Amino acid sequence: MTDPDHDLEQALAALRPRPPGPAVLARLARDLDAPVSAHGPIIAWSAGLAALAAVFVAAFLFLGFRGEVEAPSYQLVRADQSPADVQFYRPVRLDDGSFVRPVRVRWDDTTRWEDPRSNTRLINYRPNDQFALLPLETN
Amino acid sequence: MSDAHADQDWRAWFAENGARLRLIARQWTRSEADADDVVQEAFVRFWKHQRHLPGNPNALVVTSIRRAALDLLRRSDRRSVREQAVGADMETVSWFEPEADPRLQSLADSLKLLPPEQREVVVLKVWGDLTFDQIGEQFSISPNTAASRWRYAMEALRKHITVRTHD
Repeated sequence: MTDPDHDLEQALAALRPRPPGPAVLARLARDLDAPVSAHGPIIAWSAGLAALAAVFVAAFLFLGFRGEVEAPSYQLVRADQSPADVQFYRPVRLDDGSFVRPVRVRWDDTTRWEDPRSNTRLINYRPNDQFALLPLETN
Repeated sequence: MSDAHADQDWRAWFAENGARLRLIARQWTRSEADADDVVQEAFVRFWKHQRHLPGNPNALVVTSIRRAALDLLRRSDRRSVREQAVGADMETVSWFEPEADPRLQSLADSLKLLPPEQREVVVLKVWGDLTFDQIGEQFSISPNTAASRWRYAMEALRKHITVRTHD
């Protein structure tokens, strides 16, 4: 059985999309050349949370537990991001006549630190829920 | 974490695939300049966070493009009327290189005339190299619905180019 759309698909594939401008390539080269350590992205992503954990530990020690308990030494062991759950809703028409498609994107970020000496764990779970209106082109 | 693509030259990969990625980004952006920004941001996100993952990187990059486009739209929701007018002017810019073959040129022009939900499926299938299953996941629709939109789009394109070549 032959696919009646095959020729048309081949013709579409023959079209040549316009490439990104030279400025994009230059910016991309700069970004890819920037030094990134093996765990750089994970550490960068969780830097704020790590700082918060450090403040929490410092406050805990300062409020009367100095000398009694050894300070935990947390190490980042895992950072996960769930696949995004994307919901596209039916297009709606705005007052100005344009069409938009409501989109909802949900995902979870989970980061875990552990202190092997005290066998304690610090887990941060952060659900994300974002909503946007995606403009639709009409001709 | 082991790198499943340790030997991959990602600059060469982008040089080879950048044009089709930009066309995909163009489906969800207001202007050519926005499409450039989205492609760059999406590819850098992928490169930083997901390039180590096994499997074909294509679907991950397409998903990254969609998310970057949504982020940009959210940031620019309060864009001024003037900027929107500039964006509308940009619609006259062709998404494709000029074609010597009038049938191909007509096809390129006709693609913009498709309803957005059909055009998205066509672009993701032809230039995104996604299956109907993967397209369905992108838009939270069934693979059958994606295939149905594809068939309607093919029918419409066939009519468009027939009319245009007889003009």
